[in-house]
Amino acid sequence: MGAENVVSDPARCRAYECDGLTGYRVVPELVLLPQTAEQVASAVRVCAARGVPFVARGAGTGLSGGAVPVAEGVVISLQRLRRVLEVDPVNRRAVVEPGVTNLDITKAAAPFGLYYAPDPSSQQVCTIGGNVAENSGGAHCLKYGFTTNHVLALEVVLADGSVVTLGGDTGEQTGPDLRGVFVGSEGTVGIATRITVKLLRTPETVRTLLADFPSVAGAGEVVSEIVAAGIVPAAVEMMDALAIEAAEAAVHAGYTIGTPAALVVELDGPVEECDGQFEQVKAICEAHGCTRLHIAGDAEERAAVWRGRKAAFAAVGRISPDYFVQDGVVPRTRLAEALDRIAAMGAEAGIRVANVFHAGDGNLHPLVLFDADKGEHDRAEKLSGEIAELCVELGGSLSGEHGIGTDKVCSMPKQFTPEDLAVMGRVRGAFDPSGLCNPGKLLPTPRMCGERPGEYRPHPLEAAGVIERL
Amino acid sequence: MTGTAVSTLRPTDLASARDAMLAVPGRVAITGAGTADWAGRLEPVDAVLDTTALSGVLTHNPGDMTASVLAGTPLRELAEELAPHGQRVALDAARVARGATVGGLIATADSGPSALAYGSLRDLVIGATVVLADGTVAHSGGHVIKNVAGYDLTKLLQGSHGTLALMVEIVLRLHPIPERVATVAVQCALADASTHVQRLLMSPLEPVALEWADGRLLARLEGTAEAIDARAARLVELLGGTRMDDEVWQRHAELVGGRPDGAPTKGARLRIGCLPSRLPGLLAELPATAVTAGFGTGIATVTMPSDAVDAAHKIVYAAGGTSVLRDRPRDCDAPAWGPAPSALPVLRAVKSTLDPDGRLGPGRFAPWM
Repeated sequence: MGAENVVSDPARCRAYECDGLTGYRVVPELVLLPQTAEQVASAVRVCAARGVPFVARGAGTGLSGGAVPVAEGVVISLQRLRRVLEVDPVNRRAVVEPGVTNLDITKAAAPFGLYYAPDPSSQQVCTIGGNVAENSGGAHCLKYGFTTNHVLALEVVLADGSVVTLGGDTGEQTGPDLRGVFVGSEGTVGIATRITVKLLRTPETVRTLLADFPSVAGAGEVVSEIVAAGIVPAAVEMMDALAIEAAEAAVHAGYTIGTPAALVVELDGPVEECDGQFEQVKAICEAHGCTRLHIAGDAEERAAVWRGRKAAFAAVGRISPDYFVQDGVVPRTRLAEALDRIAAMGAEAGIRVANVFHAGDGNLHPLVLFDADKGEHDRAEKLSGEIAELCVELGGSLSGEHGIGTDKVCSMPKQFTPEDLAVMGRVRGAFDPSGLCNPGKLLPTPRMCGERPGEYRPHPLEAAGVIERL
Repeated sequence: MTGTAVSTLRPTDLASARDAMLAVPGRVAITGAGTADWAGRLEPVDAVLDTTALSGVLTHNPGDMTASVLAGTPLRELAEELAPHGQRVALDAARVARGATVGGLIATADSGPSALAYGSLRDLVIGATVVLADGTVAHSGGHVIKNVAGYDLTKLLQGSHGTLALMVEIVLRLHPIPERVATVAVQCALADASTHVQRLLMSPLEPVALEWADGRLLARLEGTAEAIDARAARLVELLGGTRMDDEVWQRHAELVGGRPDGAPTKGARLRIGCLPSRLPGLLAELPATAVTAGFGTGIATVTMPSDAVDAAHKIVYAAGGTSVLRDRPRDCDAPAWGPAPSALPVLRAVKSTLDPDGRLGPGRFAPWM
């Protein structure tokens, strides 16, 4: 690969010791920076031949520790594979290398009136390869779906160094949907080296409003009513008072300090549809005691509303020295209950929790605020894990878009039975029998999580009296 | 089928489905409503797992826009339960009207014209509980639309043709039923259709379906009562054509999925996918007796003489496309699939880890595996 593409100096390797979840750090033995897909494949072949574990890495913005290196392993950075290989406006798709940023796909498509729909908050820097690994969402996935709904084909280097294509030009399938299994597999079954994505036509119009409410529950009712009216908004986001305070301190986006809840609702589509439904949304807000209704009058005002929302994570640093971000999902109808429970749990632990979330799809992002210098770390970490597991208890999921990674791997037995996890392990083994591909992520191992198999809960068959544990 | 009696089991719930899987030795065919004979011809089996009694809606949460069903539930029955709530599963595959089951539609990776906007069931299934050949019960996904915990094993079911697992429970995301639907038909030759399609797709009108069939291009819009007429008028202004009743889609469905009474039709039907821009040229090369072509999705259904199927696979493959036999006349011994994909070793490895003894759906992926 050439010495210029290899980092072995431990001091320089340290730059790769963690991803966006900075609590987990492991310095890799070696970092490889291949320039071509062929170099990725040959690097993997060398790892396979010598039994060296490897971890693929994009921009390192992931929030679940999915790109944390393995001790005595290799990091394969895809940052130098950053060519947009093709933009095909006729067939509305683009072919890109994995190191291309999410936003650069849209920039390449924009001259044709097209864009790439999934828009994670980190879209300026996160890479499409990382998006594929995590099945990234974003604020607009309520209407447009997730990465998996926008990837047509993947060229993949498997753990033995062989190269295969999953999916095809149309997303039509020849056999079981392996592309769909690969998307969201968190780098544990191979490395994507070439990605074909769908492009959508830019909507004719976009209408955005920011509405304040006297309670989070009240704002939640508005969301339910919008949905019940048969409206599919492009995005529905909610922030609570603490999150607003942080975001305003950082970016002065025009949110109301002190309001208990603010909703961002965005509609897009053909003018006739959008205008009529936007009036309906405004009426629903007003009928539910909205205390302030701000309509973004132009693109600049719209950008300001989104700046406030998207800044919230980072801005929390202004009101707390340290924090954890959670990513659990609850059924939308249980949002108010989830938030009440989280508030009570925070009060009991003596830890503040700010809430920013994708209200339309029930994806919470509780920000657990703490001060490590005051010895609050362990208490906050415990609360953070309990919040994720609460989401499972309420019929939801540990993660909506950040992934399991290293962070939530030991919580997986809360959501899945030992049999479920064993079947996932069998599928992982079908792609990577050697287990060299990003080991220790996504599926719990006794080494990481102790021998505890997780909390006992009856298997459905056990509950039905079909089987019994002896 | 073998000459000896083949036992048929009709499980009714998860427990009896697992029992049935363990009770039958040897090779097993999983069947649904029998609305398609898709993929490779089934080899002789020792038993049939008939899923039609695995039927019924388990949950419907209108506020969450999710529903779960037993996998043998006909999609149209689910649709009837959802409709009073103004909700639907956004899949309009041709077989739905003939009683196709949710599990069968997943197993065949079927989709209809509105795949242009909503995708196929791969995009709408959010959770599943299955029984593997060794009796293991496994579930993946869940009851929330947004969920990245664990591998998305529901995707493996999509297009599995009964070869990996018995689907028992399926969780689906729902969409609202639009207030109004409008269809505009534009008379045009196949060769001219893609020009119209390009203009429409670059317009802001957001059609949900765009299909050429029987000498005309059909475009479907969904929207609100107050907006739909204005949008349809804009479409007519853009392409010409006239508003039609939605019944015109029934003829399309027959060309794709066969006659409403299920009576056999003449010729073999091939489902093809290729880059939309290559579709007109590709279709011109095939000895088609009937065609529907989605110039937005790249998916076409082509009826042709049985003896033309083998060559057709190769022509499609050469164009970079995919093809599968979706309806096989009795006299047709042509292979169901074209040349194997590069990922065949992975498909084989997945098959052998989930069904090591090769019990389920033997022959469906012949000649690949």
